[in-house]
Amino acid sequence: MSIKILTIDDSRTIRLIVTKFFKPFDCMVLEAENGIIGLAVASREKPDIILLDYTMPVMDGFEVLARLRADPDLKATPVIMLTAEAGRDTVIRIAQLGVRDYLVKPFKGEVLVERVGRVVSLRAQNAVAKKNKRFDDPINILVVDDKPAIVGQVIAGLADTAWKVTSVEQYNQAVELCVGTQVDLVLAGLSLPNDGAIMLYQHLRSHTNTASIPMLGMCVRTATAEAARAQQTGFAGVVHKPIDAADLKAKVCRTLSLETSYKYFEQRDGALAIKLPKDFNPTVVQEVSSYLQGQLVSAADAGGDKLIIDLTPVEAVSLPVVELMLSAIQAAGKLSLRCAITASEAIQKQCLNYEETQAWLFAGTFEQAVALLK
Amino acid sequence: MNKQMEQIDQLTREAVKEVFETMLSMEVNPEPPSPLMPDPAGDIIGSVGFVGEATGIIYLYAGMGFARIIAGRMLGIPEAEVDSGEMVTDAIGELSNMVVGYVKSRLCNSGLPCILTIPSVIRGQQLSVEGSAQVTRRAIGFRNCTHHLLAEVLLKESTTTKL
Repeated sequence: MSIKILTIDDSRTIRLIVTKFFKPFDCMVLEAENGIIGLAVASREKPDIILLDYTMPVMDGFEVLARLRADPDLKATPVIMLTAEAGRDTVIRIAQLGVRDYLVKPFKGEVLVERVGRVVSLRAQNAVAKKNKRFDDPINILVVDDKPAIVGQVIAGLADTAWKVTSVEQYNQAVELCVGTQVDLVLAGLSLPNDGAIMLYQHLRSHTNTASIPMLGMCVRTATAEAARAQQTGFAGVVHKPIDAADLKAKVCRTLSLETSYKYFEQRDGALAIKLPKDFNPTVVQEVSSYLQGQLVSAADAGGDKLIIDLTPVEAVSLPVVELMLSAIQAAGKLSLRCAITASEAIQKQCLNYEETQAWLFAGTFEQAVALLK
Repeated sequence: MNKQMEQIDQLTREAVKEVFETMLSMEVNPEPPSPLMPDPAGDIIGSVGFVGEATGIIYLYAGMGFARIIAGRMLGIPEAEVDSGEMVTDAIGELSNMVVGYVKSRLCNSGLPCILTIPSVIRGQQLSVEGSAQVTRRAIGFRNCTHHLLAEVLLKESTTTKL
């Protein structure tokens, strides 16, 4: 998944310069010309990092930052302040605002990239284009935690994947492994002694060959301060203890941009098929939704005119299932793809309990669904 | 000649050099000030003021031809892709902001707290700025190959006499 960088600056020149500097990386640069628009974009897009101008008309950087920090959804978003004013008082004031870093204009492009790279994992475009790993590819995960029960939960939770889990108890052992072996992702306990997880993050980021290894933190649900600190430091996310396997897998997938579309989508006999799994959960909704539009457009581009949604593995129909199907059917309709649903009689009946499903076409099998749409 | 103006003169020289080198990878060197040669495409002036214990305004003058080069270098695009409108105006505004921001920061550090005004840019033919009787003026010329840039500092009299 691309890193989202939001640049809030009244100068179009600076916004264009920022966009240019990050072009070689797998980034999406979002622009806002003032603080009000910036807050709206931040709220909508949830950027990974914000580059915020200090001196702006309409709403200055100080006020924008205060509003970001007051928003529960955005308060952990790291901010790097850009300012043309490097006076001691300004610098002290900026530091007190809780920004991750600040950069004085004029600045060199490589300095900006380096500062942003300390906070988020920048990957070169060509590295991304080369290969996006799939969910079922082998992946090396390093767990750093001194509690055997937690390590056990991670290993058990990922046992049905092709991922290899290695564990160590201490920060220095983790550094050694990251430097000496291929580690795709580090999962570190945030309660490690001596601030071990944060130390490890900073160590990895300060060395070129380990700088791009993403880190997820682990903590109990109530340790909100620990979690916020980890995210402010630059961790890609936090997994709660006790470990929920589905949540862990989803966060690993998101962090490593693992390709998972094949789990849900396939082209079959000229139709696009969407198969919803038995263990339907919010991760499924998120993953299917993220691929949906692209898959539908590809299907329509290739001359397809049918969408078949397979509900046969689903055990019960819930509102999220109906909502997901509705959005798929509506999106398909916009591309002139006709849609049918395969499901058991019991599931069909459950679907029909919802008012929005009355016009849906149901069939028992894929072949019957195709025939229905001819 | 007063101490205050000398300080701002020196800071402006440093600022222009620093901003051009960092943002444009372009070397500019001071030269004796002289009116800019008329540019058939017109002139452009970027200005930012500072208000506080030191109060004044710094203007940067350039011909449109040089301004287009500056904008292209700042944005990292060929000069041919620079449109003559918003792109140049915005680039000169930002350049002025950086130059005067540099000066302002150092004035603050030397015990003259002040704040910046928002940048403004004026375009037209053979532009010149007139100051009132209560201002002290200083012009500083810069040169890059055949291109010229003029910086003009206007400092409020009450500020200069205070020191």
